[in-house]
Amino acid sequence: MKLNNDSKELLVFLAIIAVIIGIFLTFYFGLTGLKVFIGIIMASLPFYVFLNSFKLAEGEKFVLSIILGITLFPSFAYLLGFLVSFRMSIAIVFILLTAVSIFWNKKPRKS
Amino acid sequence: MKLNKNHLQTLIFISAYLFAIYFWTQPLQERKLPYGEYDAMSHFEVADYMAYNDKSFNKLPAYIELRYGNDNKYKPHTLWYPPTFHSSLAVAEAAGGERVIPVFLMNTILATFIIITVYFVINSLFGFLPAILSALLLIFSPRDFMPFLWGQWPERFAYAFVPLILYFFYKYVISYSKEEKNPIYLYITALLLGINILIHPLVFFHSLIGLAVLYILLSIKQKKMIFNIKHISIAAIIFIALFMLFPNQTFNVFAQFSRDSTGSSAQSSFDFSRLLQWSLNPKDYEGSVPASYFSFNEMHGLWTLPFLLIGMAFLLWRREERDIFMLAWLVGLYLVLHRDLIGKATFLHRSLSASTHVFAPLTALGAIYIASAIKLPSNSNKYLKYGIAALFVLLVFSVNMAYASKILNKNTYNDFLSTLSKEQYLAAEWILKNVPPDYNVSVIGIPHQQNLLPATAKKIRWSAAVSQHVSRFYLLVEDKKEAERRLKNDYIMLDYTMAGAVGDKEIFDKMQDMEKNTLTNYTLLYNQNNMKVYKLET
Repeated sequence: MKLNNDSKELLVFLAIIAVIIGIFLTFYFGLTGLKVFIGIIMASLPFYVFLNSFKLAEGEKFVLSIILGITLFPSFAYLLGFLVSFRMSIAIVFILLTAVSIFWNKKPRKS
Repeated sequence: MKLNKNHLQTLIFISAYLFAIYFWTQPLQERKLPYGEYDAMSHFEVADYMAYNDKSFNKLPAYIELRYGNDNKYKPHTLWYPPTFHSSLAVAEAAGGERVIPVFLMNTILATFIIITVYFVINSLFGFLPAILSALLLIFSPRDFMPFLWGQWPERFAYAFVPLILYFFYKYVISYSKEEKNPIYLYITALLLGINILIHPLVFFHSLIGLAVLYILLSIKQKKMIFNIKHISIAAIIFIALFMLFPNQTFNVFAQFSRDSTGSSAQSSFDFSRLLQWSLNPKDYEGSVPASYFSFNEMHGLWTLPFLLIGMAFLLWRREERDIFMLAWLVGLYLVLHRDLIGKATFLHRSLSASTHVFAPLTALGAIYIASAIKLPSNSNKYLKYGIAALFVLLVFSVNMAYASKILNKNTYNDFLSTLSKEQYLAAEWILKNVPPDYNVSVIGIPHQQNLLPATAKKIRWSAAVSQHVSRFYLLVEDKKEAERRLKNDYIMLDYTMAGAVGDKEIFDKMQDMEKNTLTNYTLLYNQNNMKVYKLET
């Protein structure tokens, strides 16, 4: 996957922000705080990849992917949690959503 | 990588937001113990049961059923809210690897999400300065953090959706009228509206009314009504799909709605003067909500009033599309807040908690636009604008933060009577891990006198929440036979940590006497930190 300069810059900037938030949460809540933050990122990531294929502003994609990550992701995990253990369902939902998002993103579209 | 203006602005916002997380989590930071009113316990219980037992559930376990068994009118004895909010906390608990910090931290992130959505919406429509000033005001908004402390957790998060739903609908209407038709914005509106009802139905209706007002006002402004059956059909499918995700809970909305229409706690007769009032009469809520909650001065700071009025006046005068957006948001809230006039007064005070979400940006806009309204030599307006912004920040920290710190600080809920101590938490955790789920716990030692009971009843409920067992003062019931039965069947918890501090010699002697005479044939299973657990082995 090739990234243009803007995307690279955005990635670096996001990494800096993630490090700042990670340090803050670790300072106040220990590794538990950091793990919760990583959980939020992981849950939001598939939605960001999915939304990336739409004509939306960067800020819109961010806010939406976080909000979907902390609402739809756990809802799907809850539903699957009746069939397998809750932790297992979290992992399965993450894998499924990521796969769907990548597939959706790679799908050729009409211009 | 070079830092540009956008990066800098984002970093400033991230700093403000992290400060909000710091400020709102103060009661958790040192004690790291659960806290809050009854509502908080219920939300903790649902999320924690899911994560701790590593399974989803719909039918309520006994210790939750005891209080909430009939809250779902459509399907009694099941979850009374859609599980979206609680499973979010449960995912956090699973990710965090322990029980208290992840749930309370995640809840704080969800409750403060309104700061993110207001910042995002105002930044997109009006620019950075009003957005960051709005965010600052929201951090110290007691009408937001008081219900958060009381335990109205899902509702706090649900309010974060209101500006976002209105924003995406606004973007749809604007893109449609500019012939760039971008229906994705309408689909996102439907998606967020669907999630909104899964989080909290009251706020969903708030969003719906806001949408109706925005649609009407934008149609008047643009002198045309947008209606695209294809777009609306797809949006409706998205909404219905989400609504049907948890039918046992979403259909409860209708059951509750029909019940609420037959009775409500506050005044519901038509009172014309109510139309001219924003807030509600504190006397109608005596005993449940403090009077300060209804005071503009105490909730927003009187200094914000002139800026707020200027902000409203300016938007009314200018009436650009983005101004219409703000006014629709305000009118929507006004209508929701006056629904008592049509007899729908249930949880009216809770809608008042959304005031700051729209007042804060209007106040910030008022402050910023004063500078442009005054005619000054070139470039001076810019300095005036930043000068006023600096004054705004100064007032937020000296007035709003100072007031907020009195309510929300490290000692909030550090309450000997109502919040679990470390010793009590550890004993409750021992019960969770060692007592079979079917057994109840009879507690003795936590003060139960009438004057203390309103506080200590919370402690025993927290103990039930942490231990995931029905825990009550069963040995103190007047029915001697019942007490006898409890003594034989239940696990008996003797709590010596409180009697001395409250000077309750009677209960202390009673516990000693029990240990000497009644519990002689019982097995002492737990004996740590002045907490003991006995069981009659059969």
